[in-house]
Amino acid sequence: MLGFALQIASGGTSFRLAGFPWNLISGFVFLGFLLLLFWFLKKHAVIKWLGSVKAALPAIFGFTFLVLLMGFVKQDVQSKNMLVELLGLNHLVKTWPFILINLYLLVLLGLVTLKRLTPFNLKNFGFFLNHFGLFLVLLSTALGSSDVKTLNMDCYEDQTEWRGREANGTMVELPIAIKLLNFNIEEFRPKLTIIDNKTGKIVIENNREKFELLDRDAFDLFQYHLEVDTFYASSGRVEENYYPVNEPGSSPSARIKVTNLMDQSVSHGWVCSGSYAMQPEALKLNENHSLIMLPAEPKKFSSEVSIVTKDGKSQTALIEVNKPFRINGWTIYQLGYNTEMGRWSDLSVLQLVRDPWLPAVYTGIFLMMAGAIFLFIFGKPKSGGTEHVA
Amino acid sequence: MWLNFPVFASVAILLWMAATGLFLFSASKILNRLAAGLSVSGTVVLLVFVIMLWMAIDRPPMRTLGETRLWYAIFLSGIGLASYFRWKYKWLVCYSLTLAMMFLSVNLNHPETYDKTLMPALQSQWFVPHVIVYIFAYALLGASSLVAIRNIFVKSSGKTTSEPIHMADNLVYLGFSFLTLGLLFGALWAKEAWGHYWTWDPKETWAFITWMFYLIYIHYRFRNPLAHNKAMMILAVSFVILLVCWFGVNYLPSAQNSVHVYTE
Repeated sequence: MLGFALQIASGGTSFRLAGFPWNLISGFVFLGFLLLLFWFLKKHAVIKWLGSVKAALPAIFGFTFLVLLMGFVKQDVQSKNMLVELLGLNHLVKTWPFILINLYLLVLLGLVTLKRLTPFNLKNFGFFLNHFGLFLVLLSTALGSSDVKTLNMDCYEDQTEWRGREANGTMVELPIAIKLLNFNIEEFRPKLTIIDNKTGKIVIENNREKFELLDRDAFDLFQYHLEVDTFYASSGRVEENYYPVNEPGSSPSARIKVTNLMDQSVSHGWVCSGSYAMQPEALKLNENHSLIMLPAEPKKFSSEVSIVTKDGKSQTALIEVNKPFRINGWTIYQLGYNTEMGRWSDLSVLQLVRDPWLPAVYTGIFLMMAGAIFLFIFGKPKSGGTEHVA
Repeated sequence: MWLNFPVFASVAILLWMAATGLFLFSASKILNRLAAGLSVSGTVVLLVFVIMLWMAIDRPPMRTLGETRLWYAIFLSGIGLASYFRWKYKWLVCYSLTLAMMFLSVNLNHPETYDKTLMPALQSQWFVPHVIVYIFAYALLGASSLVAIRNIFVKSSGKTTSEPIHMADNLVYLGFSFLTLGLLFGALWAKEAWGHYWTWDPKETWAFITWMFYLIYIHYRFRNPLAHNKAMMILAVSFVILLVCWFGVNYLPSAQNSVHVYTE
């Protein structure tokens, strides 16, 4: 409530915590504050209450309520709804209610952890792992959010790049220079499907578009039986035929024999998915239907790069989706490429991320994982829980 | 290679069916052991098939939906059995065997899903543990909700026993531990794939909401250990949230650009 009032009063200004070193200092101040509070006022009714499950339930409930709002209202887009804009519901993580309830949860988690640690009892180990782990994750995520740097870098083949683009479009010079040596795409075999000649749309059966991957010699598609005569992963067109070539702009193609199972009529011809340099080609089967080849989907894409840092390190690396490369506190991800040019793209978009608070977050995550395993092994405390009610 | 799959799958399903039947209707120790033996053999049969498949296609068979369902079946039956050996929960092993059989039957009926393409972002060693842990958590929490719903509607004689709520508690604790692991695996994977461990993607948001609801249940049980009915209600609602997270997210307007939406 207070949070929403503040949100309206502040005119919806989004909240952003100060960066290093102020966030680190405020973190220590917060921890010190919690320790002092616990040390001197341990016996006070309010502190006792804050460290109890009685306080925890409404706090969890409130947090859940806010996240539920986030689950229903589309985030990070302008909303036409006045109320949504006024209360900041479309960017909830940056609003006062969210920040206050986070802070409140942190106070509760911190106090309850301290309470369970004194006197120390091995029985409380699982409890400690779960509650302190979550405390650490929430705290370091909140404090570290302003130190996270995310930059996109457009790398063209054989060119060296050292500028990154922030989310708002500002270009920033980085202590890392990257030269794209080679950009590779491996593609799946293309898919075949049938389109309606009048609408140009894919024919739908049982509410679903139907495709077949061109990885077999014969298969059925709707009422047609297809036999693949020839398949070229990379080809060019010369007059009426396709021939295997491997140069920029070439495209997959296949010569296919199609038998209509309804009337046994046979069509025979080429289909080609086309590229930025080549026209696609469809095979007309009859008045209603044509067979087309869809552009091949990427299976794997990767960039061979050579990286030079300001402090003199020089290294080559292969960066792939799900296989980032780490250097000097930066993690470099494969993000994208020029999809229009597909596998002939000479552009590779890399993302450089720096998150100095990550070790703290990961420590919290690993504590929580250990806590989860603890829960799995030991389960619910035997007494039915009465001992936990503070 | 898939040609002999129906044979392997049928043998595994028959063994598991026999095991489930024995577990449900036997009282003697020897028959229980026989049941455990049968289900172990079912799992081994399937494992042998997966290893053969692995060698034949020369890559880990975890790329397609059909292949991951095979792993679900193996893991589900394995974890069910492990829990049986550990806690002697018969219902758990029966439940997981049934679910494993269901997955295998889906595979028998939908062989066309075996060679679907998989986008690069999903090609990660995290894919399998993330999904399997989640599906197992869903299975356990689903079972806990069955207990809850049964308890809400079948209050026959009016006498309150603590047996159902303890069963629900056990299931929730097991399920919640898997749910937590799944969520955290997801965070670690997201860091590897997208550069940040948490981006409030709609699926993440709903997974978090689900997690919070079960957290509410757990804390509510501590706060009001005797209010069984309300706790059961929370559990039933939590499962609705879980279902929204599992399938419902695909239809929410807030999730149009989510990377998690299942496209098939």
